[in-house]
Amino acid sequence: MKLIITDIEHFNIPVEGDYKVIRPQGNIHHCIGCFGCWVKTPGKCVIHDGYEGTGIDMGKCTELILISQCCYGSVSPFVKTVQDRAISYIHPDFVLRKGEMHHKRRYKNIITISAYFYGTHITEREKETARNIIDANADNYDGLVKNVCFYNTIKELENMIL
Amino acid sequence: MRIALINGSPKVSNSASGVLLTDLKSFLITSSKTEIKEINLHNTVVSKEALEDLKNTDVWIFACPLYVDGIPAHLLSCLVQLEETDWQDRQVQIYGVVNCGFYEGIQAEFALNILQNWCTKTGFTWGGGIGVGGGGALQQMPTMKNGHGPKAPVEKALGTMTDKIIQRETQKNNYVSIAFPRFLYKMAAQMGWRQEIKANGGKTKELGNQLE
Ligand SMILES: Cc1cc2nc3c(=O)[nH]c(=O)nc-3n(C[C@H](O)[C@H](O)[C@H](O)COP(=O)(O)O)c2cc1C
Repeated sequence: MKLIITDIEHFNIPVEGDYKVIRPQGNIHHCIGCFGCWVKTPGKCVIHDGYEGTGIDMGKCTELILISQCCYGSVSPFVKTVQDRAISYIHPDFVLRKGEMHHKRRYKNIITISAYFYGTHITEREKETARNIIDANADNYDGLVKNVCFYNTIKELENMIL
Repeated sequence: MRIALINGSPKVSNSASGVLLTDLKSFLITSSKTEIKEINLHNTVVSKEALEDLKNTDVWIFACPLYVDGIPAHLLSCLVQLEETDWQDRQVQIYGVVNCGFYEGIQAEFALNILQNWCTKTGFTWGGGIGVGGGGALQQMPTMKNGHGPKAPVEKALGTMTDKIIQRETQKNNYVSIAFPRFLYKMAAQMGWRQEIKANGGKTKELGNQLE
Protein backbone atom coordinates (compact mmCIF):
# COMPACT_ATOMS: atom_id res chain seq x y z
CA MET A 1 0.00 0.00 0.00
CA LYS A 2 1.13 3.56 -0.74
CA LEU A 3 0.56 5.90 2.20
CA ILE A 4 0.31 9.50 1.12
CA ILE A 5 0.52 12.28 3.71
CA THR A 6 -0.22 15.68 2.23
CA ASP A 7 -1.27 19.17 3.25
CA ILE A 8 -3.22 19.57 -0.02
CA GLU A 9 -6.88 19.57 1.01
CA HIS A 10 -8.23 18.96 -2.50
CA PHE A 11 -5.77 16.25 -3.38
CA ASN A 12 -6.29 15.05 -6.96
CA ILE A 13 -2.97 13.68 -8.12
CA PRO A 14 -3.48 10.28 -9.79
CA VAL A 15 -2.08 7.29 -7.91
CA GLU A 16 -1.39 3.80 -9.27
CA GLY A 17 -2.37 0.78 -7.19
CA ASP A 18 -3.56 0.48 -3.63
CA TYR A 19 -3.23 3.66 -1.57
CA LYS A 20 -4.45 5.74 1.37
CA VAL A 21 -4.33 9.53 1.63
CA ILE A 22 -4.03 11.43 4.91
CA ARG A 23 -4.90 15.08 4.34
CA PRO A 24 -6.38 18.02 6.31
CA GLN A 25 -9.95 17.12 7.31
CA GLY A 26 -11.32 18.77 10.43
CA ASN A 27 -8.97 19.77 13.21
CA ILE A 28 -5.78 17.92 13.92
CA HIS A 29 -4.19 18.13 17.34
CA HIS A 30 -0.42 18.36 17.68
CA CYS A 31 1.61 15.76 19.59
CA ILE A 32 1.87 16.66 23.28
CA GLY A 33 4.96 14.54 23.92
CA CYS A 34 3.25 12.15 26.36
CA PHE A 35 4.57 8.89 24.81
CA GLY A 36 1.11 7.38 25.43
CA CYS A 37 1.46 5.77 21.97
CA TRP A 38 4.30 3.69 23.47
CA VAL A 39 3.24 3.10 27.07
CA LYS A 40 -0.56 3.48 27.26
CA THR A 41 -1.96 2.23 23.96
CA PRO A 42 1.18 0.86 22.28
CA GLY A 43 0.96 1.39 18.53
CA LYS A 44 -1.69 4.10 18.55
CA CYS A 45 -1.80 7.78 19.56
CA VAL A 46 -3.99 8.57 22.59
CA ILE A 47 -5.53 11.72 21.05
CA HIS A 48 -8.80 10.80 19.33
CA ASP A 49 -9.28 13.23 16.45
CA GLY A 50 -9.18 10.85 13.49
CA TYR A 51 -5.39 11.03 13.13
CA GLU A 52 -4.48 8.54 15.85
CA GLY A 53 -3.89 5.55 13.57
CA THR A 54 -1.13 6.75 11.23
CA GLY A 55 1.45 4.58 13.02
CA ILE A 56 -0.69 1.53 12.14
CA ASP A 57 -1.05 2.66 8.50
CA MET A 58 2.72 3.06 8.29
CA GLY A 59 3.08 -0.54 9.45
CA LYS A 60 1.08 -1.65 6.40
CA CYS A 61 2.66 0.48 3.72
CA THR A 62 5.52 -0.16 1.34
CA GLU A 63 5.83 3.45 0.19
CA LEU A 64 5.44 6.60 2.24
CA ILE A 65 4.80 9.60 0.02
CA LEU A 66 5.04 13.05 1.61
CA ILE A 67 3.59 15.88 -0.46
CA SER A 68 4.09 19.12 1.36
CA GLN A 69 4.83 22.77 1.24
CA CYS A 70 8.47 23.27 2.16
CA CYS A 71 8.77 25.31 5.38
CA TYR A 72 12.38 26.28 6.07
CA GLY A 73 13.52 22.85 4.86
CA SER A 74 10.88 21.01 6.85
CA VAL A 75 7.56 19.58 5.77
CA SER A 76 4.62 21.86 6.59
CA PRO A 77 2.98 22.04 10.03
CA PHE A 78 0.12 19.71 8.95
CA VAL A 79 2.35 16.98 7.50
CA LYS A 80 4.72 17.34 10.45
CA THR A 81 1.83 16.99 12.90
CA VAL A 82 0.83 13.72 11.24
CA GLN A 83 4.44 12.50 11.39
CA ASP A 84 4.86 13.54 15.04
CA ARG A 85 1.64 11.74 15.92
CA ALA A 86 2.88 8.54 14.25
CA ILE A 87 6.06 7.68 16.18
CA SER A 88 4.28 4.53 17.38
CA TYR A 89 5.32 3.09 14.00
CA ILE A 90 8.59 2.37 15.79
CA HIS A 91 9.24 0.60 19.10
CA PRO A 92 10.39 2.62 22.13
CA ASP A 93 13.51 0.50 22.72
CA PHE A 94 16.80 1.69 21.27
CA VAL A 95 19.19 0.07 18.81
CA LEU A 96 22.47 1.26 17.31
CA ARG A 97 22.50 1.77 13.54
CA LYS A 98 25.44 3.28 11.64
CA GLY A 99 27.03 4.00 15.04
CA GLU A 100 24.09 6.12 16.18
CA MET A 101 21.17 5.54 18.48
CA HIS A 102 17.80 4.87 16.84
CA HIS A 103 14.65 2.96 17.74
CA LYS A 104 13.89 -0.71 17.25
CA ARG A 105 11.36 -1.75 14.64
CA ARG A 106 7.78 -2.51 15.68
CA TYR A 107 6.72 -3.83 12.25
CA LYS A 108 8.57 -5.83 9.60
CA ASN A 109 7.72 -3.73 6.53
CA ILE A 110 10.45 -1.70 4.87
CA ILE A 111 9.24 1.75 3.91
CA THR A 112 10.54 3.58 0.87
CA ILE A 113 10.07 7.33 1.28
CA SER A 114 9.39 9.82 -1.51
CA ALA A 115 9.02 13.50 -0.74
CA TYR A 116 7.54 16.10 -3.09
CA PHE A 117 8.03 19.59 -1.75
CA TYR A 118 6.36 22.63 -3.24
CA GLY A 119 6.81 26.36 -2.65
CA THR A 120 7.69 29.51 -4.57
CA HIS A 121 10.97 30.54 -3.00
CA ILE A 122 12.62 27.38 -1.75
CA THR A 123 16.30 28.25 -1.20
CA GLU A 124 19.21 25.89 -1.88
CA ARG A 125 19.84 25.63 1.87
CA GLU A 126 16.21 24.68 2.45
CA LYS A 127 16.51 21.99 -0.21
CA GLU A 128 19.63 20.65 1.45
CA THR A 129 17.93 20.61 4.86
CA ALA A 130 14.89 18.87 3.39
CA ARG A 131 17.03 16.15 1.75
CA ASN A 132 18.96 15.65 4.98
CA ILE A 133 15.78 15.33 7.01
CA ILE A 134 14.23 12.78 4.65
CA ASP A 135 17.46 10.75 4.83
CA ALA A 136 17.33 10.97 8.63
CA ASN A 137 13.66 9.91 8.59
CA ALA A 138 14.60 6.86 6.53
CA ASP A 139 17.31 5.97 9.08
CA ASN A 140 14.81 6.32 11.90
CA TYR A 141 12.10 4.29 10.17
CA ASP A 142 14.82 1.82 9.14
CA GLY A 143 13.67 2.35 5.56
CA LEU A 144 14.97 3.81 2.30
CA VAL A 145 14.69 7.03 0.32
CA LYS A 146 13.30 6.80 -3.23
CA ASN A 147 13.37 10.45 -4.22
CA VAL A 148 13.11 14.02 -2.99
CA CYS A 149 11.85 16.61 -5.49
CA PHE A 150 10.98 20.29 -5.43
CA TYR A 151 8.26 22.13 -7.34
CA ASN A 152 7.14 25.74 -7.49
CA THR A 153 3.42 25.10 -7.34
CA ILE A 154 0.88 22.39 -6.55
CA LYS A 155 -0.26 22.63 -10.21
CA GLU A 156 3.09 21.27 -11.42
CA LEU A 157 2.60 18.24 -9.18
CA GLU A 158 -0.70 17.39 -10.81
CA ASN A 159 1.09 16.33 -13.99
CA MET A 160 2.60 13.24 -12.45
CA ILE A 161 1.35 9.82 -11.46
CA LEU A 162 2.30 8.61 -8.02
CA MET B 1 19.98 43.55 26.94
CA ARG B 2 16.45 42.18 26.63
CA ILE B 3 16.34 38.45 26.08
CA ALA B 4 13.40 36.13 25.39
CA LEU B 5 13.79 32.56 26.60
CA ILE B 6 11.31 30.59 24.53
CA ASN B 7 10.20 27.13 25.62
CA GLY B 8 9.12 25.33 22.45
CA SER B 9 8.30 21.97 24.00
CA PRO B 10 4.62 21.01 23.82
CA LYS B 11 4.96 19.89 27.45
CA VAL B 12 3.60 22.44 29.88
CA SER B 13 5.78 21.11 32.70
CA ASN B 14 8.79 18.86 33.25
CA SER B 15 10.34 19.42 29.87
CA ALA B 16 14.03 19.00 29.14
CA SER B 17 13.77 22.30 27.25
CA GLY B 18 12.66 23.91 30.51
CA VAL B 19 15.69 22.48 32.35
CA LEU B 20 18.02 23.84 29.66
CA LEU B 21 16.40 27.28 29.78
CA THR B 22 16.60 27.39 33.59
CA ASP B 23 20.32 26.62 33.39
CA LEU B 24 20.83 29.17 30.64
CA LYS B 25 18.94 31.79 32.63
CA SER B 26 21.20 31.31 35.64
CA PHE B 27 24.25 31.87 33.41
CA LEU B 28 22.73 34.95 31.77
CA ILE B 29 21.74 36.53 35.08
CA THR B 30 25.20 36.16 36.59
CA SER B 31 27.03 37.30 33.47
CA SER B 32 25.51 40.66 32.71
CA LYS B 33 22.69 43.11 33.05
CA THR B 34 19.91 41.33 31.30
CA GLU B 35 16.18 41.65 31.32
CA ILE B 36 14.67 38.25 30.72
CA LYS B 37 11.21 37.38 29.44
CA GLU B 38 10.12 33.77 29.66
CA ILE B 39 7.83 32.78 26.84
CA ASN B 40 6.00 29.51 26.34
CA LEU B 41 5.17 28.21 22.90
CA HIS B 42 3.44 24.98 23.92
CA ASN B 43 0.69 25.40 21.32
CA THR B 44 0.24 26.02 17.61
CA VAL B 45 -0.50 29.72 18.05
CA VAL B 46 1.67 32.50 19.49
CA SER B 47 -0.51 34.38 21.98
CA LYS B 48 -0.92 38.17 21.95
CA GLU B 49 1.01 38.45 25.21
CA ALA B 50 3.86 36.37 23.81
CA LEU B 51 3.96 38.55 20.68
CA GLU B 52 4.06 41.65 22.87
CA ASP B 53 6.95 40.24 24.90
CA LEU B 54 8.79 39.28 21.72
CA LYS B 55 8.38 42.81 20.37
CA ASN B 56 10.20 44.09 23.44
CA THR B 57 13.25 41.86 23.24
CA ASP B 58 16.38 41.87 21.06
CA VAL B 59 17.58 38.30 21.48
CA TRP B 60 15.36 35.24 21.18
CA ILE B 61 16.55 31.86 22.39
CA PHE B 62 14.44 28.91 21.31
CA ALA B 63 14.68 25.67 23.28
CA CYS B 64 12.77 22.73 21.90
CA PRO B 65 12.87 18.96 21.55
CA LEU B 66 13.83 17.16 18.36
CA TYR B 67 10.70 15.58 16.84
CA VAL B 68 11.06 13.21 13.88
CA ASP B 69 14.39 14.79 12.93
CA GLY B 70 12.95 18.30 12.90
CA ILE B 71 11.12 20.95 14.88
CA PRO B 72 7.89 19.87 16.67
CA ALA B 73 4.89 20.59 14.46
CA HIS B 74 3.25 23.07 16.85
CA LEU B 75 6.44 25.13 16.99
CA LEU B 76 6.70 25.05 13.21
CA SER B 77 3.20 26.63 13.11
CA CYS B 78 4.42 29.31 15.50
CA LEU B 79 7.46 29.97 13.30
CA VAL B 80 5.18 30.43 10.28
CA GLN B 81 3.05 32.88 12.28
CA LEU B 82 6.15 34.77 13.43
CA GLU B 83 7.40 34.95 9.83
CA GLU B 84 4.08 36.50 8.80
CA THR B 85 4.17 39.07 11.62
CA ASP B 86 5.34 42.57 10.78
CA TRP B 87 8.45 43.19 12.90
CA GLN B 88 9.10 46.58 11.29
CA ASP B 89 12.71 45.82 10.42
CA ARG B 90 13.61 44.96 14.00
CA GLN B 91 17.05 43.43 14.35
CA VAL B 92 16.66 40.26 16.36
CA GLN B 93 19.39 37.76 17.10
CA ILE B 94 18.22 34.15 17.26
CA TYR B 95 19.82 31.21 19.10
CA GLY B 96 18.56 27.63 19.37
CA VAL B 97 18.95 24.80 21.86
CA VAL B 98 17.50 21.56 20.52
CA ASN B 99 17.56 18.52 22.79
CA CYS B 100 16.97 15.00 21.58
CA GLY B 101 16.08 11.67 23.09
CA PHE B 102 18.90 9.91 21.29
CA TYR B 103 22.36 10.07 22.80
CA GLU B 104 24.13 11.99 20.06
CA GLY B 105 23.58 15.74 20.03
CA ILE B 106 24.49 15.84 16.33
CA GLN B 107 21.09 14.31 15.55
CA ALA B 108 19.63 17.78 16.25
CA GLU B 109 21.67 19.33 13.43
CA PHE B 110 18.84 19.58 10.90
CA ALA B 111 16.40 21.06 13.41
CA LEU B 112 18.94 23.82 14.05
CA ASN B 113 19.23 24.21 10.27
CA ILE B 114 15.46 24.76 10.12
CA LEU B 115 15.78 27.60 12.64
CA GLN B 116 18.65 29.06 10.62
CA ASN B 117 16.63 28.84 7.38
CA TRP B 118 13.72 30.51 9.17
CA CYS B 119 16.07 33.39 10.09
CA THR B 120 16.86 33.86 6.40
CA LYS B 121 13.14 34.11 5.62
CA THR B 122 12.36 36.51 8.49
CA GLY B 123 15.47 38.65 8.11
CA PHE B 124 16.59 37.88 11.66
CA THR B 125 20.22 37.06 12.47
CA TRP B 126 21.12 33.49 13.25
CA GLY B 127 23.42 33.32 16.28
CA GLY B 128 23.99 29.55 16.27
CA GLY B 129 22.89 26.83 18.59
CA ILE B 130 23.47 23.72 20.62
CA GLY B 131 22.32 20.17 19.90
CA VAL B 132 21.97 18.28 23.18
CA GLY B 133 21.94 14.48 23.18
CA GLY B 134 20.52 12.40 26.01
CA GLY B 135 17.71 14.86 26.63
CA GLY B 136 15.56 12.17 28.20
CA ALA B 137 17.79 12.20 31.29
CA LEU B 138 18.12 15.95 31.83
CA GLN B 139 15.16 16.15 34.21
CA GLN B 140 16.76 13.68 36.59
CA MET B 141 20.23 15.20 36.56
CA PRO B 142 21.37 17.55 39.30
CA THR B 143 23.22 20.76 38.53
CA MET B 144 26.63 20.54 40.19
CA LYS B 145 29.21 23.25 40.63
CA ASN B 146 32.66 23.56 39.03
CA GLY B 147 32.07 21.50 35.93
CA HIS B 148 31.14 18.25 37.62
CA GLY B 149 28.28 15.84 37.19
CA PRO B 150 26.57 14.20 34.22
CA LYS B 151 25.22 17.52 32.93
CA ALA B 152 28.66 19.17 32.87
CA PRO B 153 29.22 19.09 29.07
CA VAL B 154 25.76 20.58 28.54
CA GLU B 155 26.41 23.33 31.09
CA LYS B 156 29.77 24.08 29.50
CA ALA B 157 28.09 24.50 26.11
CA LEU B 158 25.42 26.75 27.63
CA GLY B 159 28.16 28.80 29.33
CA THR B 160 30.02 29.27 26.05
CA MET B 161 26.81 30.27 24.31
CA THR B 162 26.04 32.75 27.11
CA ASP B 163 29.29 34.59 26.33
CA LYS B 164 28.30 34.76 22.66
CA ILE B 165 24.78 35.96 23.50
CA ILE B 166 26.07 38.73 25.73
CA GLN B 167 28.33 39.95 22.91
CA ARG B 168 25.56 39.32 20.36
CA GLU B 169 28.04 37.21 18.45
CA THR B 170 27.44 34.14 16.33
CA GLN B 171 28.75 30.73 17.26
CA LYS B 172 29.12 27.58 15.24
CA ASN B 173 26.58 24.97 16.24
CA ASN B 174 27.89 22.95 19.14
CA TYR B 175 26.84 19.31 19.63
CA VAL B 176 27.10 17.72 23.05
CA SER B 177 25.91 14.69 24.98
CA ILE B 178 25.44 14.10 28.67
CA ALA B 179 28.45 12.71 30.58
CA PHE B 180 26.79 9.37 31.16
CA PRO B 181 27.63 6.20 29.21
CA ARG B 182 25.44 5.52 26.23
CA PHE B 183 24.72 1.89 27.13
CA LEU B 184 23.55 2.91 30.61
CA TYR B 185 21.38 5.67 29.17
CA LYS B 186 19.82 3.10 26.82
CA MET B 187 19.25 0.64 29.68
CA ALA B 188 17.75 3.29 31.95
CA ALA B 189 15.37 4.49 29.20
CA GLN B 190 14.24 0.94 28.42
CA MET B 191 13.65 0.20 32.11
CA GLY B 192 11.67 3.41 32.22
CA TRP B 193 9.32 2.29 29.40
CA ARG B 194 8.74 -1.02 31.22
CA GLN B 195 7.91 0.72 34.48
CA GLU B 196 5.58 3.14 32.73
CA ILE B 197 3.59 0.53 30.83
CA LYS B 198 3.15 -1.48 34.03
CA ALA B 199 2.09 1.64 35.92
CA ASN B 200 -0.55 2.10 33.19
CA GLY B 201 -1.87 -1.40 33.83
CA GLY B 202 -0.21 -2.99 30.78
CA LYS B 203 2.34 -5.76 30.31
CA THR B 204 5.95 -5.34 29.23
CA LYS B 205 5.49 -7.42 26.08
CA GLU B 206 2.71 -5.07 24.93
CA LEU B 207 5.40 -2.46 24.26
CA GLY B 208 5.89 -4.32 20.96
CA ASN B 209 2.20 -4.68 20.02
CA GLN B 210 1.60 -4.83 16.28
CA LEU B 211 -1.81 -3.36 15.54
CA GLU B 212 -3.90 -4.23 12.48
C1 LIG C 1 6.78 12.83 18.48
C2 LIG C 1 8.19 12.69 18.99
C3 LIG C 1 9.22 12.57 18.07
C4 LIG C 1 10.53 12.45 18.52
N1 LIG C 1 11.52 12.33 17.60
C5 LIG C 1 12.82 12.24 18.02
C6 LIG C 1 13.87 12.13 17.07
O1 LIG C 1 13.65 12.13 15.84
N2 LIG C 1 15.13 12.01 17.54
C7 LIG C 1 15.41 12.01 18.88
O2 LIG C 1 16.59 11.92 19.25
N3 LIG C 1 14.43 12.14 19.80
C8 LIG C 1 13.14 12.25 19.40
N4 LIG C 1 12.14 12.38 20.33
C9 LIG C 1 12.48 12.44 21.76
C10 LIG C 1 12.50 13.88 22.31
O3 LIG C 1 13.34 14.70 21.55
C11 LIG C 1 12.99 13.83 23.76
O4 LIG C 1 12.09 13.10 24.52
C12 LIG C 1 13.22 15.21 24.37
O5 LIG C 1 14.04 15.08 25.51
C13 LIG C 1 11.93 15.92 24.79
O6 LIG C 1 12.24 17.24 25.16
P1 LIG C 1 11.22 18.17 25.98
O7 LIG C 1 11.07 17.51 27.34
O8 LIG C 1 11.90 19.48 26.06
O9 LIG C 1 9.94 18.21 25.24
C14 LIG C 1 10.82 12.46 19.92
C15 LIG C 1 9.76 12.56 20.83
C16 LIG C 1 8.46 12.67 20.39
C17 LIG C 1 7.34 12.78 21.39
